[in-house]
Amino acid sequence: MPRWLRLAIVVAIGALVVVLVLAFRRPPQDIRTGTVGKPAAAFTLQKLDGTGTLTMTPTDGKVVVINFWASWCIPCKQENPALVRVYERYRASDVVFIGVLYQDSREAGLQYVRDNGVTWPTVSDDDGRVAFAYGVFGIPETYFIGPDGIIAGRHIGPIDETTLINGIESLRAKVKR
Amino acid sequence: MSRSRIAIAVALLGIVVAVGWSARPQAETPAERVDRITSELRCVVCQGLSVRDSPSESARQMRDLVTQRVTGGRTDEQIRDEFRASYGDWVVLSPPVASWSGLVWLVPIAALIIGLAVAMRRLRAPPASLPEPPSAAVAALRERVAREEALDLPAADAR
Repeated sequence: MPRWLRLAIVVAIGALVVVLVLAFRRPPQDIRTGTVGKPAAAFTLQKLDGTGTLTMTPTDGKVVVINFWASWCIPCKQENPALVRVYERYRASDVVFIGVLYQDSREAGLQYVRDNGVTWPTVSDDDGRVAFAYGVFGIPETYFIGPDGIIAGRHIGPIDETTLINGIESLRAKVKR
Repeated sequence: MSRSRIAIAVALLGIVVAVGWSARPQAETPAERVDRITSELRCVVCQGLSVRDSPSESARQMRDLVTQRVTGGRTDEQIRDEFRASYGDWVVLSPPVASWSGLVWLVPIAALIIGLAVAMRRLRAPPASLPEPPSAAVAALRERVAREEALDLPAADAR
């Protein structure tokens, strides 16, 4: 076998190993797709409690946490206590929490909100357009939007308290600067 | 030209015309366009299914979105771009060549070219020849053969 061919095979195998190592090291909660690092989509959706609409304008200088959920979603129930605690912690601050009901009926969503102590604004994405605009794969998914209106990060799957607080604080530091 | 040759020529011409006629570009209906576009998009909650083929709720919503975009006069490229903006190149079942995902096209072609190059090289290379033994060794071998022939050993061969 010629020397150049042996070298090419070694380089190809090395490249494959590097790609695999990089791919397996990435946590599945942090899969980057189209929307991370790009401007967040503004939206107006009906509130679950029927008191009108909620408009999310990402460029008003606030940190926004958007959580996509549904009442039938077991991991959403798992993460709910962490969301409740973190929301209470930042309730009086300029951090905005929005829960977006996805692929669920409003009645079931409203019952879930009442049963699980959800007190932050919740809206219903009936046709899935907002989820599509954010690049939601499945629920639960949580998006962190910075004061500059850019989607700074997202978490796929049930989120814990530490991840939520870290995500919010890293963006609040930008506001203070 | 004989009659049979003329008949064959006419038959061939007929086949060419029929194939050309059936392959002519035809105007798609909006529903056919939606089917085609959604068959090129990946269902984001499925394993290897297109948006057209998936029975999931996400795929249904995406089909509705494509239908709305087609009705609204968007081009295929604009619709695909909208999906790529949300989900990256991954969402397109045939990723664009001019991207990292395009490696799925380029790597097999590169491997094929390399393989062909190696095969051609092997075929063109002269067959490996054994090195010429030194003349002294050849002389010794000849001498030995002659000696053994002179001995005439039928008993040894029969063994």
